Amino acid sequence: MLEIANLKLGFGDPAPVVAEAACSLADGERLLICGAAGSGKTTFLSAAAGLIPRLMAIPLFSGDIAIKGRPISTLTRDELFSTIGFVSQNVEDQLWDLSVEDVIAFPMENRGVDRKAIRARLRQLIDGLRLTTLLGRRVLTLSGGERRMVAIAAALASNPSLLVLDEPTTGLDPEARARLSRSLGEAAASVSALLVAEQDPASLSSIVDTVMLLKDGKLSAPFPANDIMALERPWLEAGILPPSRTRSQPRTANPGASLLEVSGLTTKLVRSDARPVLSQVGLQVRAGEVVALIGRNGAGKTTLFKSILGLSGIEAGAIILDGANAEGWTAARRARKIAYVPQSMRHILFNLTVTGEVVFSITASTATTTDSSVANLASAMLARYGLSDLAQANPFALSARQQALLGLACADATGARMAIVDEPLLARDVEGRRMLDIFISSMLGSGRAVMLISHDLELVDDVATRLVILKDGGIAFDGNVADGWKSPAFAALGWSAPYGAPRLEGVA
Amino acid sequence: MSRLHDLNFFIKLALAFAVMLVAWLVPGWRFGVPFALLCVLALWAVGVPGLRGYLKGALLLTAMVMVSWLVNLFIQGVSLHDSLPIAAAMAARLITTTAAFYFVMETSSPGSILAAASAARLPPIATLVLSLTFGIIPMLRDDFERIADAQRARGMEVDEVALPTKLRFALARGVPLLVQAIRLAHAISFSLAINGFDLKRRRTTWRNIGLLVEPRLSQKDNVDEVS
Repeated sequence: MLEIANLKLGFGDPAPVVAEAACSLADGERLLICGAAGSGKTTFLSAAAGLIPRLMAIPLFSGDIAIKGRPISTLTRDELFSTIGFVSQNVEDQLWDLSVEDVIAFPMENRGVDRKAIRARLRQLIDGLRLTTLLGRRVLTLSGGERRMVAIAAALASNPSLLVLDEPTTGLDPEARARLSRSLGEAAASVSALLVAEQDPASLSSIVDTVMLLKDGKLSAPFPANDIMALERPWLEAGILPPSRTRSQPRTANPGASLLEVSGLTTKLVRSDARPVLSQVGLQVRAGEVVALIGRNGAGKTTLFKSILGLSGIEAGAIILDGANAEGWTAARRARKIAYVPQSMRHILFNLTVTGEVVFSITASTATTTDSSVANLASAMLARYGLSDLAQANPFALSARQQALLGLACADATGARMAIVDEPLLARDVEGRRMLDIFISSMLGSGRAVMLISHDLELVDDVATRLVILKDGGIAFDGNVADGWKSPAFAALGWSAPYGAPRLEGVA
Repeated sequence: MSRLHDLNFFIKLALAFAVMLVAWLVPGWRFGVPFALLCVLALWAVGVPGLRGYLKGALLLTAMVMVSWLVNLFIQGVSLHDSLPIAAAMAARLITTTAAFYFVMETSSPGSILAAASAARLPPIATLVLSLTFGIIPMLRDDFERIADAQRARGMEVDEVALPTKLRFALARGVPLLVQAIRLAHAISFSLAINGFDLKRRRTTWRNIGLLVEPRLSQKDNVDEVS
């Protein structure tokens, strides 16, 4: 199906991003490429899918790529993208303001497929991926996980021979990941081969046959998936958290003063059935705590923090920030108490240099400063998160990982008493986890708190001191992490507990 | 009233042109101003989204048009008594025109425009241009709001400040908005490329198209049903 030999890719730096890579994908095979953030997975996949150099020219491209025995360069664009379905890591890069049905039907409409056939296929994909509740909605109003599922449905729509997915489980809750695995398994009847890149090897382990690790631009020899999942060393050498790793020592908290208190919060924003997205929500976060908030895609996690930040209206309830009632406070005033690190930093960057972003976080008014204490603090923050060399770079030119680190630096620099960190994807590899640990230690060490929103239950188990489960617009569980995994609220989600089994009290 | 939002894009467009024509043909402010007010009232009655924002813009437009015409006519020696009706009539025409096209723009998603144009068997390039022309402004406006929210979420006080400061902060959104516009253009072209959009091939649509454009896939799917 796919043959890649001597592939060398680079962006002009002396060291190529991918060097002499080779791999072969047979009919019916499912290959998982794993590597740490920045290891070159996306570049490799873009070349394998024909995007490089067809749609994206890069300074260094050499090697041979053939699909079904034909060199990829000899395929017309239509032949190429009829054969290959592709979903980007940043799914926003391939979506625009269309409805869910429009996005899924788009490849079929463009190829002149008959309306009856399009509708039948739409129905099949929507039912198979359980997207019925999203019908009629604008795709850009969906949560990150929901958008990804829609993009995957669109990639499957035209029955491609080869499906190429770049980090497809990003932002998906465990149930959505299971649904995706099942759908990809079912798609085996029409999709001949699957090429996936992931940082988290466990999420798709049930459907892949072969694993290759990418490190320093070099692809390893293929491993049978069943064999490598139980090992630790190859993963650690590739900078990835091993799927078989054992539970870490639980983080203990010594909660201090209340920094955030939410009571009786009901949102103005309502669901399609006219129920408020959140109803009568109560929550407290104290200094020294890492509170993890989990819940299904679309459960209202984003709405909760937007309500706390004053970006989404509330119908009833009170928000107490650092002991003061925040009613009537502007979003900016609240933001000086609560720093926010979104999943995609792109959405909250607006200054022209990396230093400017950090200075702005400190001053909340300007990106330039003559105050040496502000400049020194900004430099220290950039150094703490390994960004000193990029101080004068344009934030929009950074990689997703570097932007995520910049988010941590900015949140740390604000001095806000609490930070809300939304799905920190950088924490999926060894180095990213280390950076997140530095951030959490810095926050807790200075008497502050962190609220972590994540679908990565292992991460939650590793770093959280308290677990909150959001379900049906309310708090279904709020308490000790170990108790959370055993709670009826967690059982109702239908997800597997992290590390296979609930943590035993008093045992690391 | 949402059924009116689902009107076929070309019918909406024809209606908007008809309203515009009437606005420019009716004589003087005595007809023009009530007609403009009627059009704005119609926007409210049919529940057009974002009306508050439109009204702010319309007021600003009215003020600018009135002032520029009054100054212009004053320089030409026309008295205020005579120039006021002329300026009011011009402002009314512009308000009516913008109201009509605001309705088209706000109630027509790029998907519904693509569908209507595809069903009309228009060439793909016309289909694309129409959907982007009417679709891009709401998309960029949403991005503008998102950037403002980002500024607020990072502690920039953009609400409780004086108007000049507010305007300065709004201008500061220009750079990220430009970056976002480039990203949007890239996303659209990337989506077109990988999803088989071809200028030489006429598109089809999943939607049932008639006087109305089917807004969502119905639960009871029947290709012969017409919304």
